[in-house]
Amino acid sequence: MIRDFVYLSPKMLKEALTLLSEHQDECKVIAGGQSLLVLMRQGLVSPEYLIDIKGVSELAYIKGDAKRGLRIGALTTHRTIEKSPAMKKGFSVLAEMERRVASIQTRNWGTIGGNICHGEPAGDPAPVLIALNATLSTASLEGKRDMAVQDFSVDYFETALKPDELLTEIQVPAVPPHTGTAYAKFNVIESDIATVGVAVSITLESGDGLCKDARIVLGACAPIPMRAKQAEEALRGKEITDKVLRKAGQVASEEAEPIADMVASEEYRRELVKVLVARVGKEALARARQA
Amino acid sequence: MLVEGRFTLQAPIQKVWDTLFDMQTLASCIPGAEKIEAIDDKTYDAVVKQKVGPITVRLEFRTTLTEIDPPRHVAAVGNGEDTNKLGTFTHKMTVDLTETSKDNVEVSYSTNVSMVGRLGTFGERIMRAKTKEIGDEITRNLQEKLTSGTARSDKDVDA
Amino acid sequence: MKKELRLVVNGQPYELYIDPKTLLVEVLRDHLGMTGTKRGCNSSSCGACTVILNGMAVKSCSILALQAHGGEVLTVEGLASGPELHPLQEAFLDHGAFQCGFCTPGMLMSAKALLDENPKPARQQIKEGIDGNICRCTGYNSIIRAVTAVVNGEYGVKK
Repeated sequence: MIRDFVYLSPKMLKEALTLLSEHQDECKVIAGGQSLLVLMRQGLVSPEYLIDIKGVSELAYIKGDAKRGLRIGALTTHRTIEKSPAMKKGFSVLAEMERRVASIQTRNWGTIGGNICHGEPAGDPAPVLIALNATLSTASLEGKRDMAVQDFSVDYFETALKPDELLTEIQVPAVPPHTGTAYAKFNVIESDIATVGVAVSITLESGDGLCKDARIVLGACAPIPMRAKQAEEALRGKEITDKVLRKAGQVASEEAEPIADMVASEEYRRELVKVLVARVGKEALARARQA
Repeated sequence: MLVEGRFTLQAPIQKVWDTLFDMQTLASCIPGAEKIEAIDDKTYDAVVKQKVGPITVRLEFRTTLTEIDPPRHVAAVGNGEDTNKLGTFTHKMTVDLTETSKDNVEVSYSTNVSMVGRLGTFGERIMRAKTKEIGDEITRNLQEKLTSGTARSDKDVDA
Repeated sequence: MKKELRLVVNGQPYELYIDPKTLLVEVLRDHLGMTGTKRGCNSSSCGACTVILNGMAVKSCSILALQAHGGEVLTVEGLASGPELHPLQEAFLDHGAFQCGFCTPGMLMSAKALLDENPKPARQQIKEGIDGNICRCTGYNSIIRAVTAVVNGEYGVKK
């Protein structure tokens, strides 16, 4: 049962920020509502004021290209990103990830900004954005803040967003040469959240060379999207072979901090990490070689 | 939902026992504890408030000690509800103190929480993950309290 | 405080005054009496509530009605033209693509949205097009056969 609330629907960013500044902790912001309404319907979240920003069209856009990097407005829907011609080459992993987010119906209405702000540790966009070294911008009446996507997640369903702030944009930098990024998620039912999600980005010294840099990001394995830094060390500076990838998978599975729940045990999640890190790493490597 | 843990403290076993049964100390170790009140020498009422992202939970519950074997073992059962009607729960807990050597006590606890209602179904994943975090925090707080607490008591004894 | 909601449903304009907490599915079923759209799960998981809003398949149980203000909605009631069923409806009938029928309205709307975007989907694409709709009865194959038959032109060309 959704409890009553005062409904406000600004159409401009400035208007939305003013309302936020006025109501702060008494209000909740709704974009597509594909995560929030689920909680509100169960009575788990009952704000006094609901600020509907779905109509703030100035925040829905995809700008940029492979050379300059991408700038994605926070209110861009998952489906728009999935179908966007801008998601080519190094950015194709974003479209691939979006295709795995929930179902078409959810992707048609839900936004990437709403997803990131909800802070679901099993969410798909955050691990991929972190692997791509993405940054984001927030805004309030006071001004603007920029930070790495990696620093945005703080705890379960908690982000660095202040009560008077809105997430406005996500920036994905141009992909460095000889870099490949891939994502895979395991779920029991298609269109479910990830039991475990793995994003890997590999940069080689040259087309065929040693690993210059690696980013391995795990979803649903910790309170926030987790960089498996020890596993990354297992790849850095090495010639990446299947054996090296398997080692990285093993290290990542030990580094991860998954919990057990109705869907999977802790041991099973660790096993998924081990297998997926090696598998996704191999795909990222192939893309890095072709890049 | 099973939450278990163990930690070691440097203090005489009786001191650890006494500190654990000090309601004020216990209340200050549980994050979000609004009050802990002794109803009689076996029954305690408590209110704990916690926030997980956008979800706020305020749990009111009664705990009854079922086995007391000082200074080594205590078992308790409890039940309660969320004051916003999001669910009810029952829990079973044991705490064991073992003197591993002189003035070295290992505290091990195990608590099994069973949740019913919307918090139990929709909130299960969220609650389970947060419970582990809270368990870790209680352990850290207790450890800190007991370390500083025992230091203080030693000084008192000397004086 | 009630808010004004103006939307076009199956080609007809409507003006309502609703509580902001009203979901789109509630407007369609309870306010407009169009009970073709079903509420299957109350957890945004099943897709039985799927309608087409502004040309996109969406779960009407997961959208506040006010977010559809000024928009256009197509429900299962809007598929047929008078006595003439939509090709998808004919195909579903011929291929036994429903048993209890509860998922069917949502399934039809997802299938229509799929064909509106891609008139010649391959089998895998048909599967992906309906993966947001759960069916407990048919095992999906008869549904895929029905959609395939429409794709192959067996039911004429109709929007």
